[in-house]
Amino acid sequence: MNRGVEIRELKKNFVLTRWKGFSRTVSEVVAVDRISMDVPEGQAVAFIGPNGAGKSTTIKMLTGILHPTSGNVSVLGFIPWRDRRKLAHCIGAVFGQRSQLWYHLPAGDTFELLSRIYSLNRSEFIRTRDVLIERFNLGPFMDTPVRKLSLGQRMRAEVAASLLHRPRVLFLDEPTIGLDVIARQELRDLICEWNRNDGTTIFLTSHDAGDIEHVAQRVVVINHGRVVVDDNVAAVRRKYLGAKILRVQFHDAPRPMVLSGVTTLHESGYEWKLQIDTAITPVRVVTAAVLDAGSVADIAVEDPPLEEVIARIYCESRKKVPI
Amino acid sequence: MTIMKSANRYLWIGYTAARSNLAYGGEVIYRCSFLTVILYIFLRLWKVVYAATGSDRVGGLTLPQMVWYLVITEAIYLSAPRVASEVDEDVRTGRLAVHLIRPLSYAGGHLSRAMGDRLVRFAINLTVGSVLALILVGPIPISALGIGMFFATLPAAFLLDFLGMFLIGLCAFWLESTSGLALLYTRTVMMFGGMFLPLAIYPAALQPILKVLPFASMLSAPGVMFVNPSLLLLKESIVIQGAAVAVFLVMVGFVQFVALRRLFSNGG
Amino acid sequence: MFRLFVDYLRLCAAYLRINMNAQLEYRGAFYTQVAAMFINDGAWVVFWLLFFTRFPVLHGWSLKDVMSLWATTTAGYGIAYGVMGNAHRRLAPAIAQGELDLWMLHPRAVLPHLLLGSTNPSAWGDAAFGYVIYFGFVKPNVQQALMFVVLSIVVAVVFVGFGILTGSLSFYLGNASTLSDQWRDISITFATYPPTLFEGKVKFLLFTVIPAGFISYLPVQSLRSMSIVDLLIAIAGALGVLAAGVGIFYFGLRRYESGNLISMNG
Repeated sequence: MNRGVEIRELKKNFVLTRWKGFSRTVSEVVAVDRISMDVPEGQAVAFIGPNGAGKSTTIKMLTGILHPTSGNVSVLGFIPWRDRRKLAHCIGAVFGQRSQLWYHLPAGDTFELLSRIYSLNRSEFIRTRDVLIERFNLGPFMDTPVRKLSLGQRMRAEVAASLLHRPRVLFLDEPTIGLDVIARQELRDLICEWNRNDGTTIFLTSHDAGDIEHVAQRVVVINHGRVVVDDNVAAVRRKYLGAKILRVQFHDAPRPMVLSGVTTLHESGYEWKLQIDTAITPVRVVTAAVLDAGSVADIAVEDPPLEEVIARIYCESRKKVPI
Repeated sequence: MTIMKSANRYLWIGYTAARSNLAYGGEVIYRCSFLTVILYIFLRLWKVVYAATGSDRVGGLTLPQMVWYLVITEAIYLSAPRVASEVDEDVRTGRLAVHLIRPLSYAGGHLSRAMGDRLVRFAINLTVGSVLALILVGPIPISALGIGMFFATLPAAFLLDFLGMFLIGLCAFWLESTSGLALLYTRTVMMFGGMFLPLAIYPAALQPILKVLPFASMLSAPGVMFVNPSLLLLKESIVIQGAAVAVFLVMVGFVQFVALRRLFSNGG
Repeated sequence: MFRLFVDYLRLCAAYLRINMNAQLEYRGAFYTQVAAMFINDGAWVVFWLLFFTRFPVLHGWSLKDVMSLWATTTAGYGIAYGVMGNAHRRLAPAIAQGELDLWMLHPRAVLPHLLLGSTNPSAWGDAAFGYVIYFGFVKPNVQQALMFVVLSIVVAVVFVGFGILTGSLSFYLGNASTLSDQWRDISITFATYPPTLFEGKVKFLLFTVIPAGFISYLPVQSLRSMSIVDLLIAIAGALGVLAAGVGIFYFGLRRYESGNLISMNG
């Protein structure tokens, strides 16, 4: 039996009342428009889309906070809005923008509170907690008030807190927002480890392409309440994330450079911003050519912003007629 | 010429403060509902008391006069501006250090702002309270002269209250938090100023102390002057208010002096 | 059923512990607020002392009766908002700002869990004051003391129930914090005056729209008569207020879960 997540024809309409003085107009907004998908247990799914696309509405229905207008959902065998509390024992959530750790106290105090909220068996809780402290490397600051921790330390503690009750499904909303490069990678590794080794199903919402590429195995793009792309990460990367942005700053005027698969997005003074289609020309070839073009002061290679990628995905998908 | 400019400046500060107060419509409604409840409850209280004593005068006042007395004292009490916390913040943020070079202008600025605040709130409270009193007990006999005498007691009352709060704010130099002291002050004003009960009703043993304290001048004096004005009372009030103001001014001056010394010795 | 009750009691204890730890991180501020509330409540004791020195009886009530009234009201208020701080001014904004979602992710009934989430520091000043006044001023015997302890909890139930009721307005009226706060402040004001002052229509109001009667009248009645019947009536009244509040909350929660709370001003 598949005890992951099953969604069938999920639909959610909101009734919107607009008041202008004493007159009102009532309209219906379709937030989620017949979404269907299956997520097997143990999979890590990236759930992405622009703001207002219906992501959070869908997740609220998966966690039992919202009742759908129509459709069926089964999470770990439960109907979320009917068995909210029973389901809550088996799911966890981490919000990058909102902390569940008590700000003025050490993380350990929040852990103790959570053990009470989830009515955890004392010895089991201690065992799980100690494992988490070790694997998330929380030992050095377990007794430090959360307000004194760095953002990276705090997020590690947040994710650990969400795992204390050994949930089968973990919802992560922008977990790496604001983190520096090293902290981000550390957190991604930990989430990956928990997913691969412990079989925890991951639902990840993020605007960071790196998060998606490192953590998820599958990418689902939502726009206007519909699933627009549902594919594995490798395929999505190949089809849509094949572009890279290269920024270079020269000490003095560079020689002009022309390469296939490379488009100049912006050129001013001694600065270039290039877009590379990695399917045509690999990054190392372009970098070598750039280093040849002049005396380089600074050079950086980045992913294009995810918004752009999603916009492109949506444009392309519109060409296919939706059913 | 500079005095004119200063006066203009202070008037402008007061005017701006008054305007910003009127913007808080919600606060006005809140205060109105509170006033309604308090006046109603005390009307019931006094009705019971007057019925029990069997006379139509208690502490020299009739029942309607007692209710109007409360309207006045409440109008004054509820119009108090937040001088203490503002000065406290100035001390803590260090803004005070800049201003203390010219101590008169610092106090003066606060005073005009406070008065602007206070006058607007007082006017609103007085209007609402008067309407309520008219509905509940009807009018009481008043004369133009009486009203004039009443208004004559207000400036000193407001000034005294301001000086008291100013002093409390200055204590931020020595205390970790002045909010407790400020609360103690307002409650002392309430109790020893005779907000709910005219001071004449207080136990005889307390009368001498109450006469000496400045709080009577803040609430009870204007209150009694409105409902039962008399020239004798006015003369008494002016003398006491004048003395209180003088004492307070000396205290404020002294505290500012000590504070300045502490500021300069500690480097601010 | 009993195990569930014990489980929630343990949850309550855990929240009390963590709330107090959080408050004591900043001891100075905490003790200042407690002291401030003492001063506040103390001013009213001074008022009644002065009043009763001049007018010894008020419609059958003596100074001791008014002191008992203040003791039960402040003790109940303190216990209510000390333990369930989110019932005091926090429920309306929490609903309006979507904080309920976070509470609903936990395997707990939303309402009790949410209410336990914070403590109101000055409420502890009220609780301490109530007990100090009752034991220090009224000087009860053992039976009265026991009755007082029970009644302080009964009054706490009324305060919590009423806090839920007024806070739940946000489900129906958008961010109703100001309205909720005003309604509650007016009720508390009425609750601190001897209910014998009021009669007829107003007295009826005091047992319905402004539940001050459940706070000032029934509990003090029980203390004066020391009768179990009066106590049971007081308990029934308190449970009634609580039921009303809880009912209105969960009715609003159903609307919240269907997502039709959203209305915008064009």
